[in-house]
Amino acid sequence: MKLSIRHSTEYHYSERVKHSTQYLRLTPRPSARQKILSWEMDLPETAERASDGYNNILHVLTLDQPHQEIRLSVRGLVEITDEDGEDADQRLSPLVFTRMTELTQPDEALLELAHRHAGLPVDARLEALSETILSAMPFTPGVTDVASNAAEAYLGGYGVCQDHTHVFLACCRALGLPARYVSGYLYSQDSEHVASHAWAEVWQDGSWHTFDVTNQTRLPRHHLKLAVGLDYMDACPVRGVRFGGGIESLKAVAEVRQSSSSRCQ
Amino acid sequence: MRSLTLPAVAGFDEMIAPGRGIRTHYTHYHDWLLQQDGQSLERKRREAELQFHRVGITFNVYGEDSGTERLIPFDTLPRVIPASEWQKLERGVIQRVQALNLFLHDIYHDQRIIKEGHLPAEQVFGNAQYQPCMQDVDLPNQVYSQISGVDLIRDGEGAWYVLEDNLRTPSGVSYMIENRRMMMRLFPELFARQMVAPVDHYPSLLLETLQQSARHSNPTVVLLTPGRYNSAYFEHAFLAQQMGIELVEGADLFVKEGCVFMRTTAGSQRVDVIYRRVDDAYLDPLAFRQDSMLGVPGLLSVYREGRVVLANAVGTGVGDDKSIYPYVPAMIRFYLDEEPILANVPTWQCRRKDELKHVLANLPELVVKEVHGAGGYGMLVGPAATREEISHFRDRLLANPDNYIAQPTLSLSTCPIFVSEGIAPRHIDLRPFVLSGNETRVVPGGLTRVAMKEGCLVVNSSQGGGTKDTWVLEEREPC
Repeated sequence: MKLSIRHSTEYHYSERVKHSTQYLRLTPRPSARQKILSWEMDLPETAERASDGYNNILHVLTLDQPHQEIRLSVRGLVEITDEDGEDADQRLSPLVFTRMTELTQPDEALLELAHRHAGLPVDARLEALSETILSAMPFTPGVTDVASNAAEAYLGGYGVCQDHTHVFLACCRALGLPARYVSGYLYSQDSEHVASHAWAEVWQDGSWHTFDVTNQTRLPRHHLKLAVGLDYMDACPVRGVRFGGGIESLKAVAEVRQSSSSRCQ
Repeated sequence: MRSLTLPAVAGFDEMIAPGRGIRTHYTHYHDWLLQQDGQSLERKRREAELQFHRVGITFNVYGEDSGTERLIPFDTLPRVIPASEWQKLERGVIQRVQALNLFLHDIYHDQRIIKEGHLPAEQVFGNAQYQPCMQDVDLPNQVYSQISGVDLIRDGEGAWYVLEDNLRTPSGVSYMIENRRMMMRLFPELFARQMVAPVDHYPSLLLETLQQSARHSNPTVVLLTPGRYNSAYFEHAFLAQQMGIELVEGADLFVKEGCVFMRTTAGSQRVDVIYRRVDDAYLDPLAFRQDSMLGVPGLLSVYREGRVVLANAVGTGVGDDKSIYPYVPAMIRFYLDEEPILANVPTWQCRRKDELKHVLANLPELVVKEVHGAGGYGMLVGPAATREEISHFRDRLLANPDNYIAQPTLSLSTCPIFVSEGIAPRHIDLRPFVLSGNETRVVPGGLTRVAMKEGCLVVNSSQGGGTKDTWVLEEREPC
């Protein structure tokens, strides 16, 4: 399936920002599953291309002239294949992903949740866990924010993909299973749905397997992967630090469409 | 000070042999001491205190009133190590630091030591000090810990042990230098009588080491400090001044076009080497703790591309973590094919069920430490603890056994200090500072820390410990 992506992020500031630096994880890495046919970024300045510790493509953007807005936009065309091609890269030990972070640190309730489906084989257990999480915290935007950790979100009983993923990661890691956070884009016919998405991958039998809790799917057929990490903080598309600027307002629009050329096939 | 009579000592004392005899390497000092009187020594002690206050050698103590600055107690009776003994210690700490640097390179590359079964993988990769961002990053000279502090102690029989390695941002070297300067000012006659190995060249060796860590010659080197509220700020300012390099804070540096620059009055200047005294977690708010105001946004991306050098490297903590410590002798055999010159203190890992059982059964005799702890916080000294403290600690230990290791309570050697009543023995340790550049070097001696309270075994300055000048003494007469 061919997908066309448009994603724009705009920051506006109530006062002038003297200096800002951002890490952008807005460029997908090609793999057997995802072919990048074209990818362009439109940024206020040239950004330095680098990579991070999880082998994500990273752009470092420094703005050292006073500014009151930052506009970042990307557009691209990709092809998602149905190929199984599970990622089996082990240059970074999967055991790293058994580590808890501030966002995934479990409390008593999450530990109880993690151990709830004991007795089932691992795969079935994780699927049951994924179902339990979604029914315990139905998809509801606006209740949690990017700083919410897994325990808080679970206690609140609502969440978005980021919260579902953090709760799922907390449980997997509590069971000693390496699990990582994935950020990316999702194609959905239901245009109401957010196109920026997050899901989880669990290391089993020598490769990474998808668990999209929010959509209750194991098949990443409509998923374009941007970045992976221990949690949202590692994989988020934009992470920045600024000096000055006062109050920030953010407008982000992401659009994923099925490209016409593939629709005709 | 009323009396200069030497006290009787119980365990191993550096100066006083059993039966109140004097150890050979202290003969000259003792002859000199016999000609002194308590009043003049007390005057010298007060003079030292005044001078230290004047130069501002203080130490912030966490947990006391915020911003409390305290003078680290300085004792004027030197700790003397005969040169023959020092040679062994020197070879021992160099061997250890070389093995640790090879270990760090290995686990951030091929991980041979794990693949060949000498170290369990989860001990390394599950450890929060292993930094994924360092995997497959190549460093110049493959040196990770340019500046290492190795803490040495002696037990009641005088045998030496390595208590811990410090490969992150070891501090204390400024006291080593200032203590020597103070002793030479107060007692110049002592240095005329005997050959005390100099330590004053440490800053120039450090600068050489930092320059050698760069990828090209004539690099711009800066010292990055968390700022004046940090407990070791004095040392940061002192070392920068001694080396003639800029002392900078995070906000003085910025990242652009794949390089790190320093803001100066004459515009921005590219920086090649950063001697950073900021912990990993605070180095880059875009990669680590986002609330850090101490670091430089973007620094990690430049570092990973090899366009700036950090000393020490990111991720050295996995080499000095207390859970890794038990494996250092195996590292020495594995990487260097040598036998360890210096022994480890026997250590029980509470993450292992059988070892935990032993620890729980013997808590009153053991020292139990948090694997990631430092500075003498969060530890139990069994023999000095009340029954209640032990039972409290038992609960913490049971709640999270992986977080603890235990060691026998070593009695630690003593060295006499001057107290108001006269002379009394106090427990000490030794931290030599090892510099790894083109070669691995150590300034003779190091920092001797003293537990100022009678019978106390914790020497950390954060716990009220003091310091002494440390002499490595040539055993021949000066010309």
